[in-house]
Amino acid sequence: MAAPCGGAVGRPLCQFLSCLSRTAVRYTWRRQFSATSLCRTTLQTQRVTEREGSPWTLMAAVCLQRLPVISADCHPVEQRFRELTRQMELEKSLFSDHELRLLEDAERMNRKQTGSYDSDEEDDNRGQDIVLAQDLEDSWEQKLKKFQPAPRVKADVDEDLTSVERCLADSLVLLAEQQVGSEKLWLLPQAEWQEGDTLRQTAERALASLPAAGFSATFLSNAPCGVYKYKLPKAARTDSLVGTKVFFFKAVLSAMSPSAASNAPLMWLKKSEMQRFVKPAYTMKVERFILDP
Amino acid sequence: MVLGLICRGLSRKTVASSVLSGEHHHAVTLSPWIASVMTLKTSAPLRGEPKKKKKVDPRRELLMRERLKKKLKRMEKIPPEYIPIEDFVTPFKCLDDTRVRSSPRLSFEESEGRAMLLKEWSQYKQKQHLAEVQAVELALEAQREALEELKLESEELYLAALKPDPLLFPFSHKGPVYTPPKTKYDAPEGKYNDITKVYTQ
Repeated sequence: MAAPCGGAVGRPLCQFLSCLSRTAVRYTWRRQFSATSLCRTTLQTQRVTEREGSPWTLMAAVCLQRLPVISADCHPVEQRFRELTRQMELEKSLFSDHELRLLEDAERMNRKQTGSYDSDEEDDNRGQDIVLAQDLEDSWEQKLKKFQPAPRVKADVDEDLTSVERCLADSLVLLAEQQVGSEKLWLLPQAEWQEGDTLRQTAERALASLPAAGFSATFLSNAPCGVYKYKLPKAARTDSLVGTKVFFFKAVLSAMSPSAASNAPLMWLKKSEMQRFVKPAYTMKVERFILDP
Repeated sequence: MVLGLICRGLSRKTVASSVLSGEHHHAVTLSPWIASVMTLKTSAPLRGEPKKKKKVDPRRELLMRERLKKKLKRMEKIPPEYIPIEDFVTPFKCLDDTRVRSSPRLSFEESEGRAMLLKEWSQYKQKQHLAEVQAVELALEAQREALEELKLESEELYLAALKPDPLLFPFSHKGPVYTPPKTKYDAPEGKYNDITKVYTQ
């Protein structure tokens, strides 16, 4: 499955021009860097000789993941097992100080109510009659009720595909709508490789060049985690250009500034939702390295 | 020259002796106690008393230092005591008989139900583990493929990709919590007394 690549018409002309010029830097259909120092020209000649025979364009894309913020809901088996372990631990445990106090207070209440009880017989009157353990428990419960935690699931935020705070229990991947050839497609933000960059720097540039930049991401490694290569349609192919290879780099979202524009063509999708928007062959390759926790 | 010096020395001595004798004569006339006092004022040992301290104190200081060094050596020879691990020592509270809970008797159905649940749980966990292992293998395969393709493309980029990233570690990320964090929430200030025992060797 091939997706069209941009600038297919201009390429034959550039190829002609490049054949004419005998300079060290022969990449005219890519951006030209002026080689000032001698060692730079020699490096570039090396690179050129390496990449001369290669008919593939290189691009780097970034797979930015927002990791889950809250714990996922439990599977029914997990819930039952959790209850069972709590019960078993309770059965095997010893009484705590608080529980002993509860038992003593209950016993004392029973003895008082029977009537034949003299409070002077009590050996220790340490003021335990004033504050019972049960009262303490009630006061703690009242305090807990006063505190309102933030709701775990907000249905309206979950449906907004552009919001980064949707589906807090799953990990989300950033997708951007970019121009590839003559079409606008939803894919992981990518940028074309240039001379003098490593692929990771290209991926960082891809992330920074997004219209709603404001992400602080940590790139996890220098090595790519996946590759997707596509060939151009036969009409656009030339002898020295067959298609493009896109290398993916993983990054983790560490913080997001609230100045993100809401009308930017960005989406945060779960792994299962990607099939709706992204081409099947692309999804197949990308799904492999996105791990769903 | 030499004779003259000797004469002068002799004459001095005679003068001194005469002075002394003269004084002696005077002292005898006053009283026997005052005589000894007068002689004390001019005697050699009194004049040299401050010099005595300089000789004794350095000796005393040296002796003190040696004693301390001997004590330190003795202390160093003893092997240091082990710091007790608090977790391995059962506190006395736990051995109290009043705290023992009466274990409830489980009915047959209940114990069977528990056994069945444990088996279901082990099967569920096994499936989860296998799925995780498969996912990791798939991701590794994807990475291996990517590196192969990169190697076909350009050796330089391949070598740059293989280099480890020194700036990545230390990497920290806060894991998932039960409820999402509240914006603009003032946590109440809590005061606590830290009573952990700190041991020094």
